Amino acid sequence: MRRTPLIWIVLVSLLFGLSAPWWLGAYFLGIFTTAYYFGVFAMSWDLLFGFAGEVNFGPTFLIGLGAYGAGLLNTAGWPIPLCLAGGALAAVVGGVALALPALRLRGPYFGLITLVAVLLLIDFIVIFAGVTGGEIGMMVPDVLSISARVNYWYAFGFLVISGAILFGLSRSSLGLILQATGQDRIEAAALGFNVTKHKLAAFVISALFSGLAGGMLTFYEGTASVDTVVDLSIAVQIIIAVVFGGRRTILGGVLGAIFLVLFDELLRPLGQLNTFVVSAIALGVILFLPDGVLGVLLRPREGR
Amino acid sequence: MRHRWVVRAGAGAALALALGLGGGTAPARAAGPGPIKIGVIAEESAIVGQSISQGAQLAAADINAHGGVNGRKIEIIVYDDHSSAADAVRAFQRAAEQDHVKAVVTTFISEVALAVEPWAARLHMPTITPAAASDLISKQVHDNYARFKYMFEGWLTAPDLALAVCDSSHDLFVKQLHMKTAVIMSEDADWTKPLDDGMKTCLPKAGLKVLDEIRFNPDTTDFTPIYNKIEALHPDVIETGIAHVGVQPTVQWHDQQVPIVLGGISAQATNPTFWKDTNGAANGVVTQTGTVAGLAITPETLPVAAEFVKKYGHFPAFTGFTAYDAVRALAGAMQRAHSTNPDKIVAQMEKTDMAGTLGHYGFYGRKSPYTHALRYGTDWVSSVFMQWQNGKQVCIWPAKLCPNKMVFPSFVKSVHLAAK
Amino acid sequence: MLALQILIDGFAISALYGLGAVGFTLMFGVCGVLNLAHGGIMVIAGLVGWWAAANYGAGPYGGAAIGTLAGLLAAYVTYFVVVRPIQRSRTIPRAEEEIFLLTGTLLWGIMIQVGSDYVFSNNPVTMRAMIPGVMHIAGVRTPRNEVLIGIVCWAAIGLLTLLVNRTRLGKQLLAASINPRGLTLLGFELSRIYLVVWTIYGLLAGLAGVLLASFIGVSSANAGALTASAFTIVILGGLGSVPGSLIAAYVVGYAETITAYLVAPTLRPIPALLILVVVIYVRPQGLLGRR
Repeated sequence: MRRTPLIWIVLVSLLFGLSAPWWLGAYFLGIFTTAYYFGVFAMSWDLLFGFAGEVNFGPTFLIGLGAYGAGLLNTAGWPIPLCLAGGALAAVVGGVALALPALRLRGPYFGLITLVAVLLLIDFIVIFAGVTGGEIGMMVPDVLSISARVNYWYAFGFLVISGAILFGLSRSSLGLILQATGQDRIEAAALGFNVTKHKLAAFVISALFSGLAGGMLTFYEGTASVDTVVDLSIAVQIIIAVVFGGRRTILGGVLGAIFLVLFDELLRPLGQLNTFVVSAIALGVILFLPDGVLGVLLRPREGR
Repeated sequence: MRHRWVVRAGAGAALALALGLGGGTAPARAAGPGPIKIGVIAEESAIVGQSISQGAQLAAADINAHGGVNGRKIEIIVYDDHSSAADAVRAFQRAAEQDHVKAVVTTFISEVALAVEPWAARLHMPTITPAAASDLISKQVHDNYARFKYMFEGWLTAPDLALAVCDSSHDLFVKQLHMKTAVIMSEDADWTKPLDDGMKTCLPKAGLKVLDEIRFNPDTTDFTPIYNKIEALHPDVIETGIAHVGVQPTVQWHDQQVPIVLGGISAQATNPTFWKDTNGAANGVVTQTGTVAGLAITPETLPVAAEFVKKYGHFPAFTGFTAYDAVRALAGAMQRAHSTNPDKIVAQMEKTDMAGTLGHYGFYGRKSPYTHALRYGTDWVSSVFMQWQNGKQVCIWPAKLCPNKMVFPSFVKSVHLAAK
Repeated sequence: MLALQILIDGFAISALYGLGAVGFTLMFGVCGVLNLAHGGIMVIAGLVGWWAAANYGAGPYGGAAIGTLAGLLAAYVTYFVVVRPIQRSRTIPRAEEEIFLLTGTLLWGIMIQVGSDYVFSNNPVTMRAMIPGVMHIAGVRTPRNEVLIGIVCWAAIGLLTLLVNRTRLGKQLLAASINPRGLTLLGFELSRIYLVVWTIYGLLAGLAGVLLASFIGVSSANAGALTASAFTIVILGGLGSVPGSLIAAYVVGYAETITAYLVAPTLRPIPALLILVVVIYVRPQGLLGRR
């Protein structure tokens, strides 16, 4: 009984996504393309946070490494697929470098270290503005495609494949172990599971998908900038997307991401103030709806 | 049971949303051709950026009042790019694909212009930047004309800006003030690389030996170490290349009483609000600008300035004028081409030869290394140099337009030292 | 001569960093809240102070006072609208409270920044110096305002130290930072203590914002960088440790100044970053941090 809504939701969404190019204009296809990449960001984050229980406040550290890594390689003349691989590798390396000190820490320090990582990356990009374009951003020579439809298919395909893998992982034995260690690390360790190894695995997977998605987003827009892939406001949006969609559901992140992007678009006529309104609403979401949409849908209220 | 209800309601809402989106994107089958849309993508929270959209809208209003373009009105659609290349690209795509603009006027930031340029090429969209100065913008047009020909620069390109600084420095600092040495102080940004290189070459020829070139992070807020470093070299004048910063280095120059003339290019100092923003610390600052209040460079300058003040309540930053001219140039091109076809617009833009608000307005051709940049020279746009004096922007160069004297605060000792 | 220059220049900027960081770390130490709207509060204080001084005719001192009060107000809003509801929420599990607080305060910080952008534009503004002119300290030409700022910062910090160490209220604050549960068992109202801390924090952050506006200038675009800078210093010094933050502020301030003078102005932020990276790997709890 509990499974049914999820399958229906997934099927309806897939139908929507597959049919979109036939009845959505080029502009809205573009909106959804961005939303799909955002969805992958959200899913990667949920794996780490929701399951491994690690409060990662700097998903944009990994995304940024993937995006700028891919962008810089492309400026150096490499073809897109190699750049994407390079960017993902950079993200994984960064993820491991971050995980090593972070996993040794308890309590608030882990989250803080991830936050510091984002700040460090931003500073690094700004200092070496000559190479990275600084705060304003850098242009990359190649793009995936000029056609809105082709870009949409790339993004949709990437989303579906990533979603399948990440969701599958979350329901696999790895996912269960991560959940166990997330909820009670001492007991998990007592049961013989290598807590650190599994959390490290979660980090690596999260980094891989984040970095890859960051790279693809860069080749979709033709630019990499702090504003789109590194800034803390993006990290916050990812967290909001997951909270809104439902933590620990993986797929909820996609819903939340799409909703957030659409909402931002809807408020565009407000001009400068649309960020203000979106942030205010996001604030409302975390204050009043912390379980998120899917969270409410999929978990029956047992005797509350 | 409750779940099914929620799911059905959710599916229904999704369907409604989808239909709304699909319906909203169906192309509108209008009766006639309708207005010609021009997109303006600028940084609305910066005064220099805001003047771009304001100038563009003023130009559209004036053109429409005179019959529009071949009977069609010009409609300006404004997008805020929040000083971000990615936002600008997204806005550009939106303008082209959703709002179906026929041309784009965008930005004063070179990094943003450079990010938009490939998209102008990909989407065949005539695009003009009213202030971005990196020479890469026009170099790409020169090197790869067929691809990048849609891009135009509506202000002087950085190498020409350097020439303007050198020409004016020769007259103002060398001949009038007998100065001999200078230090270049620029923010580390795309537009200042060619500017600094140009200044390093032409300043010695103008009579000023370049003692050092200091480039600082555009995020810098504390300029004390920089000023102290410069002071230790004892130059007569500091030639700046700043746009991202302006208020802070000026205030600190004043508060620390740095005894050296501050000249060169400071884009923010051209803002009419700069005096107030710096609490008067701008007194004595020399900078290049488009024009100042009350100065008639061409017959267009004063009327447009007056209209701007009437409509917006303040004198425009120089980008207000350049954006005005840019829209006029685009409209003129469309008028002559009798078409909004991008290639025809480009062909006619190249033939632009009009009295702009800041000078005789035309673009370099394919023979010049800076194809499609604004022509610089005494017969074209030469820019003017101004100095803030007692709350007013006073024009001081070129002499035949501006016979006013320079006045410096007493702490700027290099003026007196050089005279000896 | 250069050494003296570096000494004086570094002193003022470090004092300013210190003032901002001390409030930040106190907030964490006693209330357990990392307020990511910190930069936003400083910026509002600076902008309102400038506006009051320049447009309202309040003059530099009046403007400074009004700006500081604006900072206090912003801090109160942060507490009552964002932080307290999250802390008291029944739907947010305790374990996730931290991330919700971080997210909530960051969102609020963004709202402040965008709001300031809209009202004031992102053009930097400076408050007129409270004491204009320069003085010569052993041959080094220094603006008088800079000296004043250094003095005011240390006076504020001194007052804070007096409050914490000598008054009854201060002892309650100390106790709350060490063991909040124990304090409630003794009959003290935690919420009253939190209110006191937020008041102190608001005044400190507001003052820091106003002084920053007077010394260097402030704009809505600085909000994020100011939070990041306070954050970095506080992590370096050790979360919750006031002396730690002060030491870290001076380490960072002087490292930056020395780099700007002796190496290159472009590389100014690098030493702080390098130190931070080393600290994270070697001693994550910071110089004087507990745990």
